[in-house]
Amino acid sequence: MTAPLEKGKENNMEPLLAGIGVTKNFGGLTALNKLDFAIYPGEIVGLIGPNGSGKTTLFDCLTRVQGLDSGRVIFKGVDVTKKKPYQVAHMGLARTFQVFRVYRKLSVFENMLLSRQWRGETLLRQLKPSHPDTEERANELLEFLTLDHLTHELAGNLSGGQQRLLEIGMALMPEPDLVLLDEAASGVNPVLIETITDRIRQLSEKEGTTFLLIEHNMGFIGDLCSRVFVLNFGQKLAEGTSEEVMQNEDVIEAYFGS
Amino acid sequence: MDRIIAIIQGIVFSRRTHIILLVILVLMPLLHFGRESCKDEGQLAAMIPEASCSYLIDEKPVTNATLLTFTQMFILIILASNWNLTGGFTGYIDFGHAVFFGIGAFATANLMGASRWEEWPALLSDWSFWPAMAAGGLVAALFALMIGSATLRLKGPYFSIAMLGTLVAVREIVRVSKNFSGGGLGLNLPIYLNRPMFYYLSLTIMVLIIGFISWLRKTEFGASLVAIREDEVGAEMRGINTTLHKIAAFGTAAFITGSVGGMWAYQNTFIDADIAFQQTRTIDMVMMSMLGGLGTVAGPVLGSTVMFWLRDVVWSNFLLYHQIFEGILLIIIVLFVPEGIMGMFDRENSGTSLNQIIKGWFPKSSPDEEDSQ
Amino acid sequence: MDFSELLIQTLINGILIGGLYAVMVLGFSVIWGVMGVINLSHGDFLMVGAYLTWVLNKQYGFEPFVALFLVMPAMFLFGYLLQRLLINRIIERPPLIALLVTYGLGISMASTVKLMYTANPRITTTQFSGYLEFGNVVLPVTKSLVLVAALVMMVGLFVFLKYTRFGKSIRAAAQNKEAARMVGIEIDRVYAITFAICIALTGAAGMLLSPLGSISPFMGGAWTLKAFAITAMSGLGNIPGALFGGMVLGLVENLLATFVPGVGAGVGIISSFVLLVLVLVTRPQGLFGGLRAAQEIR
Repeated sequence: MTAPLEKGKENNMEPLLAGIGVTKNFGGLTALNKLDFAIYPGEIVGLIGPNGSGKTTLFDCLTRVQGLDSGRVIFKGVDVTKKKPYQVAHMGLARTFQVFRVYRKLSVFENMLLSRQWRGETLLRQLKPSHPDTEERANELLEFLTLDHLTHELAGNLSGGQQRLLEIGMALMPEPDLVLLDEAASGVNPVLIETITDRIRQLSEKEGTTFLLIEHNMGFIGDLCSRVFVLNFGQKLAEGTSEEVMQNEDVIEAYFGS
Repeated sequence: MDRIIAIIQGIVFSRRTHIILLVILVLMPLLHFGRESCKDEGQLAAMIPEASCSYLIDEKPVTNATLLTFTQMFILIILASNWNLTGGFTGYIDFGHAVFFGIGAFATANLMGASRWEEWPALLSDWSFWPAMAAGGLVAALFALMIGSATLRLKGPYFSIAMLGTLVAVREIVRVSKNFSGGGLGLNLPIYLNRPMFYYLSLTIMVLIIGFISWLRKTEFGASLVAIREDEVGAEMRGINTTLHKIAAFGTAAFITGSVGGMWAYQNTFIDADIAFQQTRTIDMVMMSMLGGLGTVAGPVLGSTVMFWLRDVVWSNFLLYHQIFEGILLIIIVLFVPEGIMGMFDRENSGTSLNQIIKGWFPKSSPDEEDSQ
Repeated sequence: MDFSELLIQTLINGILIGGLYAVMVLGFSVIWGVMGVINLSHGDFLMVGAYLTWVLNKQYGFEPFVALFLVMPAMFLFGYLLQRLLINRIIERPPLIALLVTYGLGISMASTVKLMYTANPRITTTQFSGYLEFGNVVLPVTKSLVLVAALVMMVGLFVFLKYTRFGKSIRAAAQNKEAARMVGIEIDRVYAITFAICIALTGAAGMLLSPLGSISPFMGGAWTLKAFAITAMSGLGNIPGALFGGMVLGLVENLLATFVPGVGAGVGIISSFVLLVLVLVTRPQGLFGGLRAAQEIR
C-alpha cells in the first residue's frame, strides 16, 4: 500500500469508517465480496469502478439501508453492522443517492429542515416551531447552492440538476462527520462543480469533515481526493492516489477491457 | 372553466366562508330548542317511535332527524380526516381503520354499564359518559400500538390487507366473546335521547380535529409524516426514526377514532359486533378521502360532504341499488379521478398523495408511470 | 367418542376441507403471481359460483356435481369478459389501484346477488351425501367427493401449466413480461385466459362449497381473507404449497371448532387471521418464499 494510507496509520489515528469482510449477495449475484477498507478522519476519498462494481451497494450497506450477509462495518469505533439507518445517521453519517430522492411534495425549505441532525430529539420537540439556528443554516446552505430563489417551491417541481443540489444540501445539513456522495457532480453545471469542490475542501480542512465520493468524473476526483479506491465485482481492485490508480493496469483493463 | 374553478376555490377556502358556515351550524339547533321535546316525557320517551312525536315534526323546522343527519355527517368528516392522518399523510393505506371505532364503542359501552357479564367489575361500570368516551379512545390507541408494531412493518398493499384482516378478525373475536359484546344480543347503553347534545359534541370535535390536523401538518412532525410517505427509506437514512413516527400517527388517529366510536355508541344506544365493526366504514373513509384528495387537510372534509349528500339525497331514492352504485363509484374514482377534488383544483401544488404513495411502492418506476406532477 | 377418536375425526375433517381450500386459493394466487393483481373480490367470485350452482340445483334440478360442468365454462366466460373490460386497466399498475378496484367490484357483485336472491342463506342438496363409518369415526361422503374433485382440478392445472404450450406461456409471462413479449407471446391474451381460468377454478370452488354449508351474498370477505392467509403460507401460484397451506388452515379451523367451546361460525376468520399474522410477523416473505417484497425496511 502507498503513502496516503500510511499517513493515517502514522498519526495513529483510528479509522473513522472501516469495513471488514463486507459481503452482500442479491440472490445469486455477489455485489460485495469480502471487502476490506478503512477511511481516516479528514480524508477525501474517491470510490470508482465500472458500472455494477458494487459502489452504490456499498453505500447502501454503510447507511444500513441494506443489511450485510457477512462482515462488519465500524463507524467511529462502534460496530454499526446491525444498527438501524436512523441510528447511524445520528452518529454523524450522511449520504446522497445516485438517483436523487428528495421529498417531492414538500417545499425545498422543508426538505432542508427535515434533514437536520435529529439526535436526541423527542417527538414533542417536533411539535414546536423549528429552531432559528436550523433555519439559518438551511438558508445559508441553500444560498451557497444557488437554490435560495426556490426556497418555497415544491421540491418535485425542481429540475434534475437542482434536485441533486438539494440532496447535497440535505446531506450537509446535519453537520455530519462523514459524507457519502454518490455521483454528486453528474448533471451539475461546471461552475457549480467548482463551488462544490471548494466547499468540500473547505469543510474538510476547517471542520475535519470526511468525504467518500463515488464518481465517474475523474477531474472531480483528481481535484479533491487524496486517495482513491477502485472497486470491481465487489472487490477492491486497487488503492492509491488518483494518478497511481489511473495508471494501474488492472484498473485500465477493468474499465476498458483488454 | 378555470375562472369558475378559481371562483369556487376562493369561496370554499376563504376564512369568511368557514366562519359563516360555523355560525350557521352552531345556531341551527336553536331552532329546535325551547319547545317541548319528547325527551321531557322521561325515559319512556325513547320507546316512543318518532311518528308519535309528530307534533314535533310538524312544528319545528329543524327536527331530531335533521340533527341526526348532520351529526352523522360530522362523524363521517371526523373519521375521514382521521384516517387521512395515517393513510394520506403517512402513506399507509389502512383498510381496517374501522376496527378502532368498534373497539372504542365497545369499551365505552362496557364502562357505562352495558356489560352483560355478571362478573364485570363494579369499578368499571357506571362510568359517566365523558371519561368513558376518553377511555374508549385510550383502549383503541393501546390496541393500535400493539397491532401497529406488527403491521406497520409491512409495506404497501400488505399493510392494507393485514389491517383489513384485523378488522374482520377482531369483529369475530368480539362477537364470540359474549361477555364483552353480548354476542348476538349486543349491548344496550344507558338511554339518553338528546340529539342537540350529540350534534354540538360532534360539531365541536369536528372543528377541533380539522384544526388539529391543519396545525399538525405545519409542524415538523407533520412534515416528517409526509417525508415518510414520500421516501421512507430516505427519511430513515436522514435520521428520522420512522417507526416511532408511524406509530405515533397511527396511535393518535386510533385514539380519536376510538373516542368517536364511544360517542357514537352512546348516541346509538345499541351496539353489536356487526354494526360497530362495519367493514363499509373503513371503505367510506378511504373513498371520501380519495374523492376529496388524499393527503390534504381539506380533502376528507370535501369528500365526506359530497359523498354524504350524494348518498342522502340522490341514492336514498334508489335504496336497493345504492350499494352497487357505491362499488362502481369506487372503481370510477380510483381509475379516473385518483387525485380527487383537491387534485382538480390545483394540479401542481395540490399536495395530494395518491400518485406519490403509488410511486413509493415502486422506487424504480416502470416506464409506463409518467410523471404527471 | 373418546379423545383420540375425536382428534382423528377432527384431523380427517381438516384434511378433507384442505383440498377445497387449495383449489379456492389457486384462483387467487395465480392471478397475483401472473398479473400482480391482488383480487379483493376473490371471495365474491366464489360466492357467484356457489349461487350459480344453487340456481341450477334448485330451479333446474341439477345435481351440483353435474352442474359443475356448466358452472366452470360460464365462469370462464365471465372472467374473460371482466378481464378484457376492467382488469386490463389495473394490471401493470401499482397494487393499491388493484386493491380498491377489485374491492369495489366485489361490493357490486355481492350487492347485485343480494338484490336478485335476497340475503337469506341458501344451500344446495347433493345426492352424494351420507357417511362411511369406521367405528366411531366417520368419513363424510360429500366432503370426500369434494376433496377428490379438488385434487383432480389441481392435477389438471399442474399438468396444464407444466406441459402445455399455453401453460408455459403463462409461466413465462409470470416471470418476465418483456422477455415473454419478445419471444412472441401475446401478453394480453395470456392475461385474459389466465384470469378466465382462475375465475373458472374459483367458481368451481364455489360449487364445491355450496353443499357443505349455507351461502349468502356477503360471504366473500371471509374467503378472501382465507385465500390471502394461505397464499402467505404457500407462495404465489404454488400448487403443492396451496394444498399444504389449505390443509394447515383446515386443520387449525377444525381443531379450534372442536376443542374451543363457543367459538362459533367465526372460527374460519379467526384462524385465517391468526395464521396470517404469525406468518407475516415471523417470515414476512411468506413460507416457501411466497409473498414478494413484504419485507421490513432495514
